[in-house]
Amino acid sequence: MARYPDGFDVEGPVQAEVFVVWLAGDHLELTGPCGPAPWLLQVGPAEHPVEIVTRIVRDVIGEPLLVHSTSWRRDREAVILSFVVVIDRALVGSMASLPVGRSELARGEATAAPREIATAQVVEHGLRHMAWLAKDDPVVAAELPAGWRECLAGYVPEPFRNLG
Amino acid sequence: MADETITVRCACGWETTGPEDDVVAATVEHGRRMHNMTPTRDEVLAMAVATPDHQDSPAR
Repeated sequence: MARYPDGFDVEGPVQAEVFVVWLAGDHLELTGPCGPAPWLLQVGPAEHPVEIVTRIVRDVIGEPLLVHSTSWRRDREAVILSFVVVIDRALVGSMASLPVGRSELARGEATAAPREIATAQVVEHGLRHMAWLAKDDPVVAAELPAGWRECLAGYVPEPFRNLG
Repeated sequence: MADETITVRCACGWETTGPEDDVVAATVEHGRRMHNMTPTRDEVLAMAVATPDHQDSPAR
């Protein structure tokens, strides 16, 4: 039987961790059905992670503007794929939301992952990844709502990487 | 256990309390819709706890 001593929890060898981000005036905020907390999805062996995240976000919140996997790490006895999902402010509705704070990145060694990675560090890297895409990927640049580029300007661009 | 009021809590903060059949249905739906998981009835019951005050509150 699955491990459920503390109640229902996402499990499986591959999990998606979704950070739903929207532009609240002049700053970015985290929201979602779990509020600003990471939203975990199970990814089955025959499922494509991007398709799963897009479908579930569409069903639960509404049509996302952008869905991008921004990092991966080993945690929760699984490989965790982190996604930044950009939504329009009109979809936030009554979902709890909090401004995105800044954080130092988790840095590993030359051939080893960081020993600890905080959620805020995953989000920081995700938004640095989006800053990189905003400059490098014409599709992302075109889809980002007005005002996003200004908010991302403060993030040092970084491509996809292993966080742990 | 069928007559008991039981509770299932999800790590995401969601919670449901009620009769066994209602809690199973609500938990399966929550898992499918919110986390891309489809727990079996046995798995739901394994994660359930008896509701301490045994109130007849419906699953939500």
